[in-house]
Amino acid sequence: MSRARTLDVEVAEDRRSESMMINMGPQHPSTHGVLRLVLELDGEEVISCAPVIGYLHRAKEKVGETFSWHKFIPYTDRLDYLAPLSNNVAYALACEKLMAVDCPPRAQAIRVICHELSRISAHLLGLGAYAMDLGAMTIFLWTFREREQIYSLIERICGARFTTSYTRIGGVERDLPEDFWPKCQAFVNEFPGRVDEYEALLSRNKIWVKRTQGIGVITKEQALQFGLTGPNLRGSGIEYDVRKANPYLGYENYEFEVPIGTEGDCYDRYLCRLFEMRESAKILQQVIDTIPDGPILNRDGDEALKTVLPEKEKVLTNMEALIHQFMVGTESIHAPVGEVYFGCENPKGELGFYLRSKGGLEADRLRIRGPSFANLQILEELTPGHSIADIMALLGSIDFVMGECDR
Amino acid sequence: MSTLNEQGDGPAAAKVHAQFPEVTEEPRVYEGDWRVHVQPAHEAEVIAWARDELGFDLFIDRLGADQGPGANPRFDVITVTYNTLSKTRLIFVATVPEAQPELPTLCGVFRGANWFERETWDMYGIRFTGHPNHTRILMPEVFPDFPLRKEYPMEGTGDWAAPRRALGGNVDGTDGKVAIPPNPGKPGAPTKDPGKHGPIFQGLDDGPSVPSDSEGKQ
Repeated sequence: MSRARTLDVEVAEDRRSESMMINMGPQHPSTHGVLRLVLELDGEEVISCAPVIGYLHRAKEKVGETFSWHKFIPYTDRLDYLAPLSNNVAYALACEKLMAVDCPPRAQAIRVICHELSRISAHLLGLGAYAMDLGAMTIFLWTFREREQIYSLIERICGARFTTSYTRIGGVERDLPEDFWPKCQAFVNEFPGRVDEYEALLSRNKIWVKRTQGIGVITKEQALQFGLTGPNLRGSGIEYDVRKANPYLGYENYEFEVPIGTEGDCYDRYLCRLFEMRESAKILQQVIDTIPDGPILNRDGDEALKTVLPEKEKVLTNMEALIHQFMVGTESIHAPVGEVYFGCENPKGELGFYLRSKGGLEADRLRIRGPSFANLQILEELTPGHSIADIMALLGSIDFVMGECDR
Repeated sequence: MSTLNEQGDGPAAAKVHAQFPEVTEEPRVYEGDWRVHVQPAHEAEVIAWARDELGFDLFIDRLGADQGPGANPRFDVITVTYNTLSKTRLIFVATVPEAQPELPTLCGVFRGANWFERETWDMYGIRFTGHPNHTRILMPEVFPDFPLRKEYPMEGTGDWAAPRRALGGNVDGTDGKVAIPPNPGKPGAPTKDPGKHGPIFQGLDDGPSVPSDSEGKQ
């Protein structure tokens, strides 16, 4: 039962005011980016809501058709710009599937670290902004304290905090430095305590509970129909996490649980994200304990030979390697003819790449299936009947990012 | 890597073909991704059957693709569905000709197809009959072209061409570099030698929402 219904005071038919159209956004603080909602209001109650997107459209799919496979990696940083490492991993995996290139075990473990660090970071921002929109300022500052730690770790991983471009087809760009491990361990040790702090502030907070429980209920049927993925889908009680369902990067070797909601309301989605952060920290601990030694780029085999730069030492001593370095550097990679879809469990949901290659240096079609695009769509159906203040709770709980939605 | 190509569902693809032998083609597979080619007029019916009978209940993606001018049929509309119980994926492909690029909407089967079809219309000009809100979604409503078609140039055309060339192209022979007229400066002031190639700059398109742009327009 939505709160809006209870707000619906009885007004004589002739006293009822006309509905009013209101533009929320494109620069509204709670839309986190450039989302515009055209709301039709009857007093406080939303009658209809039409999301208008496209303000951040940067033609990434068109760019993907003109750039070579490797050159597109920096563009993936800017998809879900709260989790750039995760996007790099997803794109590299899709390319590896297309080209049938293997990734060595150590690089896989490093990619898992990238994945989970960015998941924690993205969920922290999502949670902080969500809470701030509902009036709990403290959380936002606290989550940014942890995000700062994560960004320092990311800086140790690839030298950049934001525009990472870390993965390569067949591995990762460089190995982790020695001082990464103690820092990461320290973070993993203290992070569960931090999550306890957030929970102490929110989970039983009367205002928080009243503003999120029973608001924005997404049924199982709706979630499936609209193609929701990630915590939004699991909040509605459907057990689909790509890491569990179709394990990649050796996720089947790590022990973790996937939280499932029961009600599908904003509160459940909040709990799912909170739980996921704890599980991500668990996975990080297991990677720290079990990461194997070995190469970080796949340089073996005929296919791999054509996709990855050779070792510098060989370039200086071996004619074949020099030619190979020259070919990869100037001409880039030839992909085989074929088309694949690969979806990766990103913080916001399933980030999918549909790659079609006609056997050239660049993609014939590079489709980015941004989870936020699908997740946002449900607003049209979800908002009618809610009060306008509940829109903030809804937007926060859906946790979208426009860079990925508009591409 | 073996785990990347285990999500496809070959038996389900064969079942779909067995159920609709007239309107589907023999399933094709690449790297474990099974694709069923469907006649556009029967696409919704086939996908609804796969949803109800085979359990492909999660709508993942619907996208267009262009085979290039001259190809016949030219456009593909690809639908990715997922079975949340058996954890497998099935892909449907409907091909539409350039002369009449239209097919029935999938909104009756998956309501989430709405925005995806609007995007396909926006980018490729493929019309979806029966769609509840057949408008552009990412590009402005007044945009005249379909930008993801192969013949549409990277830098745009006509009034919509990039004001400064953002990406190196050599349509006009400048190779991405645009000559700017020399600054006249103060009268009498010595002008700088523009060098052999004249003053050049590399254009950079700083997006519609660059944070420093307070108007939010350019």
